[in-house]
Amino acid sequence: MNLQNLSIKRKLMLITMLTSSAALVLSSASFLIYDLISFRKLLTLDLMTQAQIIGYNSAAAMAFRDEAAATATLSALTAKEDIVAAVLYSPDGRIFAHYFPNGTAHPSTLPGRSQENGYRFEGGYLEVFREVTLNGERVGTLFLQSDMRQWSVRARRYSGIVGIFVLVSGFFALLVSSQLQRLISRPILHLENAMRMVSTNKNYEVRATRFYGDEIGRLIDGFNTMLSEIQHRDTALQRANDELKTRTRELEGEIIHRKQTQEELLKAKHAAEDASRAKSAFLANMSHELRTPLNAIIGYSEMLEEETRDSGKVENLQDLQKIQGAGKHLLSLINDVLDLSKIEAGKMGLHLETFDVSLMVEEMVTTLQPAIAKNANKIHVQLADDLGMMRADATKVRQILFNLMSNACKFTDHGTISLDVSHAITEGQDWIRFRVQDTGIGIGTKQQDKLFQEFSQADATISRKYGGTGLGLAISHRFVQMMKGRISVESQAGQGSTFTVHLPAQVTLETAEATQLEGAAGVAVGLSEYRTEADTILVIDDDPAVRDLMSRFLTKLGFRVVAAAGGEEGLRLAREVRPLVITLDVIMPECDGWIVLSKLKSDPNLAQIPVIMVTVVDNEAMGFDLGASNYLIKPVDRDRLAVLIEKHRAARVPSVSEAKVIPSRKAGNKEERRKIEVEVSRRS
Amino acid sequence: MRLLRPIIAIGICLSLALGASAQALDSSDSSEYLIKAGFIYNFAKLVGWPGGAFAQPDSPIVIGILGTDPFGGIIDRILADKKVDARRFVIKRLKWGMDFKDCDILFIGVSETAHLEEVLHAVKGLPVLTIGETPGFARRGCIINLIVEDNKVRFEVNLDAAKQADLNISSRLLALAKIIPQSTADARKPE
Repeated sequence: MNLQNLSIKRKLMLITMLTSSAALVLSSASFLIYDLISFRKLLTLDLMTQAQIIGYNSAAAMAFRDEAAATATLSALTAKEDIVAAVLYSPDGRIFAHYFPNGTAHPSTLPGRSQENGYRFEGGYLEVFREVTLNGERVGTLFLQSDMRQWSVRARRYSGIVGIFVLVSGFFALLVSSQLQRLISRPILHLENAMRMVSTNKNYEVRATRFYGDEIGRLIDGFNTMLSEIQHRDTALQRANDELKTRTRELEGEIIHRKQTQEELLKAKHAAEDASRAKSAFLANMSHELRTPLNAIIGYSEMLEEETRDSGKVENLQDLQKIQGAGKHLLSLINDVLDLSKIEAGKMGLHLETFDVSLMVEEMVTTLQPAIAKNANKIHVQLADDLGMMRADATKVRQILFNLMSNACKFTDHGTISLDVSHAITEGQDWIRFRVQDTGIGIGTKQQDKLFQEFSQADATISRKYGGTGLGLAISHRFVQMMKGRISVESQAGQGSTFTVHLPAQVTLETAEATQLEGAAGVAVGLSEYRTEADTILVIDDDPAVRDLMSRFLTKLGFRVVAAAGGEEGLRLAREVRPLVITLDVIMPECDGWIVLSKLKSDPNLAQIPVIMVTVVDNEAMGFDLGASNYLIKPVDRDRLAVLIEKHRAARVPSVSEAKVIPSRKAGNKEERRKIEVEVSRRS
Repeated sequence: MRLLRPIIAIGICLSLALGASAQALDSSDSSEYLIKAGFIYNFAKLVGWPGGAFAQPDSPIVIGILGTDPFGGIIDRILADKKVDARRFVIKRLKWGMDFKDCDILFIGVSETAHLEEVLHAVKGLPVLTIGETPGFARRGCIINLIVEDNKVRFEVNLDAAKQADLNISSRLLALAKIIPQSTADARKPE
């Protein structure tokens, strides 16, 4: 059994006994050694005294060569039991007389010759040499040899006594320590017992009894305090646990209840969405269905008008013109409804192109002339000199302006309508600002809030007085939003109105992306439009500044730009857009340019698209190895990039270009649209 | 001669021990007297003279040899550089009729057997240690008498004579001696 694992009780007893025994043995041993050494000195002194006496007594015998007398003198040593040899040497060193109490045999240890005065311990014997003198003259030498019997007897006896003493006192120490150890072990054992009860039974109500005020007593106090604390906390925990359980149950009930509500809500939402979709589909369908007969009405009424004019039946002419006007009005209403339903259904996409703003405005004003003339209004157009080119959805811009101008004409009588177009740079962006101002009836402050909402004209009476669906401003508002622009109104009742539209000079797909990708249908429309665009360039770069710069530059060059912020997105857009050229950065998070390049070149549908590396990484060899067409180091030489792209365009197979001939269905000019519609209807 | 052999051996030993010059001994007599000379020396050590016996602490011990000298030069050689309590030895050869009262030790030779009583009478009451070497001398009043027994030199002591001479003989000496009582009839013939 390991000594360290003994119980405290045994350890204490062991310590007491070992300590006391060690002290006892040590002190006894030192006493014994001291005693034996002193005793040996005493013996030596005794033997030397003996030698002196014998020497004195035998001096005369030696001097007179009387061996018998000398031997008789030596024989006096018989009383001394420890002397085993006594020898008298003559001055020449030979043995003169001797005495051997243990028989006549000479002890082997007997020195052959006499030696100098003194004593020595030799082989367990104490030996003494002493000169024998007579009247100061040396007459011989005495040798005495003692076996120190007394000493060894004394040593044995004393050792025995010490042994017995140690045994007895050890036994006594055992008795005492077995009693005294309880002072320490009893509280500890008690504490251990209490602790075992706590840990096995988890019973925190147990308390240990304090026996004494010593450290163990304090330990027990601490233990009890700890137990109280644990008990207290246990109770609190139990209470908290119970409360938690209750709460959880309540919460579960709540959750179930909410889930039910949620499911109901979801059902309701699905129902509402279904209804909305059905509504939109219905509207779209109805608009188409309505337009078909309307095309016929307008077409035929125009034909009739011409025929009537030719035949000179002037009395019918006015009626026919009314039919034609009503038809056109109906068509515009239907187109508005159709646009709005497309917007609502997320099917309205952007069709970006670069156009001359001034030309567009002038063309629009020309087509607006009849409406201006109708209420005897004057028009005043002011175009800034530096307008230049704009990249946006031209059709929608034209429609927005047309709406605003039409409204101005409609609500102004004998007044002035002014159109002001200029550049405005705010928030670091280049804007084209269109301002339409009239001197008409104006709009009250209350009505201004609802102005851009669907189906709401400023006043219900207005629709009766002026006609219109109230959809024009709503549609314009939506279009402006799609191109990330702003529209605002300033007006006072009776004081005329001012509508201001801000549109980015460079509308990009990125800025319009949210609208672009609204709903799956929207994506589909967008894609179909992408495919019609032959000169799309895909810019893959994680740096938004680079994307923006490249987009602007390439847009100015007349390209459509699709930008991707990462490799995966770039690959996806490449598959969707099939661009003319791809510009590719190398250092991008997650999927870098090399990976993108490899993937592009390993996809048979994309492999033939030229890739221009545009990067800060100077590793042309790597780029060409992976299949890049060109390698440009940032910052890019724009002219060089332009030349490269132009080369790729020239080399391009004209397989996708037939899509370009599909005409826009939403011609901004109603006259044109009318003609087309009529043509369509005539063809049909 | 056969008997004397151990005596010769002891004589050699003694002569060596006493520091005597290790001269070859020419006769058995000389070895016997070598021992006897040593004995005389030892007697001087173990006998106490009365206070007035010596004038000075270093006054020599005077040894008188009366009658025929048996020692030859041996005793002179042995005692030449010996001292007892700072006293040297002075040796005088004496004849009958010479004054020997100033002797401290008087060796009475065999030749004086006939008038021993006269010699003793002459020193009576004086602190003179009388030494003889003739059987019967001790009984007749000589204080110490050297004898040969079992080839060994021994001695007899007449305590009464010593007392009369006021000499104190050490017990250690007496322990080795044969004590001889004073003959009541002084005139009786020697044995």
